[in-house]
Amino acid sequence: MKSVNTARGKVEPVDGCATPASRPDGPIDPARRKLLAGLVTAYTASLVPWALAVPVTDAGHGAFVALSAILAGKRVLNSVLGQRLHAALVDIEPGFDADCQALLKQIEAQQIDPAKLQGALDAAHSSLAPLPRKLMRAWCLGLVGDGEATRCVAYENALDAVMVADVLKPPTYAYGPYGSWSNPPAAKGGDEHGNA
Amino acid sequence: MATPDSAEVVVIGSGICGALAARKLALRGVPVLILEAGPRIDRGRIVAAFRNSPRKGDWMSPYPYSPWAMQPQYKPKDNGYLIQAGPYPYPAEYIRVVGGTTWHWAAQAWRLVPNDVRIKSLYGVGVDWPMTYEELDPWYQEAEEILGVAGADNTGSPRKHPFPLPPVADPWSMIRFRERLAPVYPVVANTVARNSRSYDGRPACVGNNSCQPICPVNAQYLGINAVEAAEAAGVKVRADAVVYRIEADAKGRIAAVHYYDPDKTSHRVTARQFILAANGIESPKLLLMSTSSKYPNGIANSSGMVGRHLMDHPSSSLTFYADEELWLGRGPQSPSSINTMRDGAFRSQHAAYRLDFTNISQVLSVTEALIAEGVYGPEFEKQLRWRAARQCNVKNVLEVLPNPDNRITLSSEKDALGIPKPVAHYSIDDYTRRGAERSKQDFAKIAELMGGTGLRYSPDGQFANNQHITGTLRMGDDPAKFVTDGFGRAHDHENLYMCGTGVMPTAATMNSTLTAVALALRTADHMVPAKSSGADNGGAT
Repeated sequence: MKSVNTARGKVEPVDGCATPASRPDGPIDPARRKLLAGLVTAYTASLVPWALAVPVTDAGHGAFVALSAILAGKRVLNSVLGQRLHAALVDIEPGFDADCQALLKQIEAQQIDPAKLQGALDAAHSSLAPLPRKLMRAWCLGLVGDGEATRCVAYENALDAVMVADVLKPPTYAYGPYGSWSNPPAAKGGDEHGNA
Repeated sequence: MATPDSAEVVVIGSGICGALAARKLALRGVPVLILEAGPRIDRGRIVAAFRNSPRKGDWMSPYPYSPWAMQPQYKPKDNGYLIQAGPYPYPAEYIRVVGGTTWHWAAQAWRLVPNDVRIKSLYGVGVDWPMTYEELDPWYQEAEEILGVAGADNTGSPRKHPFPLPPVADPWSMIRFRERLAPVYPVVANTVARNSRSYDGRPACVGNNSCQPICPVNAQYLGINAVEAAEAAGVKVRADAVVYRIEADAKGRIAAVHYYDPDKTSHRVTARQFILAANGIESPKLLLMSTSSKYPNGIANSSGMVGRHLMDHPSSSLTFYADEELWLGRGPQSPSSINTMRDGAFRSQHAAYRLDFTNISQVLSVTEALIAEGVYGPEFEKQLRWRAARQCNVKNVLEVLPNPDNRITLSSEKDALGIPKPVAHYSIDDYTRRGAERSKQDFAKIAELMGGTGLRYSPDGQFANNQHITGTLRMGDDPAKFVTDGFGRAHDHENLYMCGTGVMPTAATMNSTLTAVALALRTADHMVPAKSSGADNGGAT
């Protein structure tokens, strides 16, 4: 695996959301731009071929993006949201990037099927066992942190809303004109995963 | 420094009952002042707070917490306000703000069924109400016309005049429940304070599916609508005024109430008449706190009944996957019920119940479950869509009989203003538990008719609470057994009235707000009878 040792600046919370120190929510600096394809092995590439062109800043961010794609399945992930989630997760847990890299390395080395990942980590009592759920909770519910320190980073753009957006609106958003909900739900056609 | 103040009528509490009673009095020319412990809040900010909330399943989370007007909160941890004495937990939720707890109700606006007010005579349980259903009918009608209640005539509650609004359009999921359960169960549209067309300046529902915790578009009638209507009628509302003492004079009339502002400066307000409308927990708390040498057990409590006979509606439930795509979450949250077990001879043996179908989006709970199960990769999205499309839920809404040992008392613990915290003593008796057991037959049949798989019953003996805080100020004719008379007037004090769900003698099986509003309007009419017919009866706000 090609390694990139780009130092990351200190992450500061901005308006309640932790964001990269370089440019909050903005595109990745072209000078720091890497592609995920350059950071992963053939096994990861085979799991998430659609994600390989995603720009990343460094190995830690790359591991986060690769793991996110593996865990979330066949879904193009919102790269801006990904930056926000990553920054928030790193902000509350300085060792987050290292954990992501370690877990990705383990998946690649052992060629672990994503469907069997959590069971394998739990069975091994791995210190990395909580990590997949942290990532999925961030992507799918928009939440990072625990207990009273939990922060909401995403709602409408969280994956749980996006994955059903052809049928449902997130609560508080109007479904449609009065009575439109009496019609049969018309999910858009797509593959077996509902992807249009 | 105390600020002297006065009004013809002082109302304690700005929830839907207090506000609509105040409005009715104001429309009859009576100067009214409402004292509300909590702050004013803004609908838009509540919507934004929900969207930004880390606890979307906690419907208290978007509401502000005021140290001077504590309210029970349990997440992310119990704030210790409503102290649990057991033996069964009673984690009631309510909101202490201008407008009260109907900011986040489901707007289910049911009438009683006629036999609900005669269960002692008919079935030998509970107690009869000091009025007939027929006496309540016009007050229900008035309440329904103010709230804009939508409904159909097949709910088991007779009426002399039509609903102001036709039933709200069924979500597809409920159409399918109705069609598939029809051989066995009639599935009826809930009667709801939700607009099925524009009404009284408020729009028709557009299906935001967030009736709880907040209707973003004002299609659902809330306590704040009642407050605004009261203010339009001339009522003054003072927020952040935490009443901590009710003062009686030597003749037993209520002379004044005392309140703290957030800085704990005390104020005294006098009036000729008073309405206590601070909900089924805060109202008895205030009465019990208001002790003196003449009233050592508190105001209105010569019977010792203040705070007793606390009731609610416990629920057990079944969650399952239907064999077709229903996609709960399209349209309003609370559309349909089965009412066949709300009344019958069985009530001598076990609790009556309503069966309630939710239309709340299942996406959040399904997502949480999949993450907990560690489902990753392509299977995650596949499972999310499959489960969110098919997962559904039916729950019972069980009657609890009045039990004097279920009660609210005062704790030695104090809140930030030095006011005692309330203590809940609660149990769920065998009568209610037998009703829950009986309802499992219905759950199983419903699942069978829907081709259900993955059946998940709530654990035996465990009940969810429905936040229908009932009893504690019950109305009845006997001053030795009841706190208020049949019009909500304290037996012990001729100028003190009580409004809210607390005055209901029994809880029956329906959400209690509409009945409490009807009773509040009746109380206000009794306080100041109309000089001419119908000036404030009927019609929208």
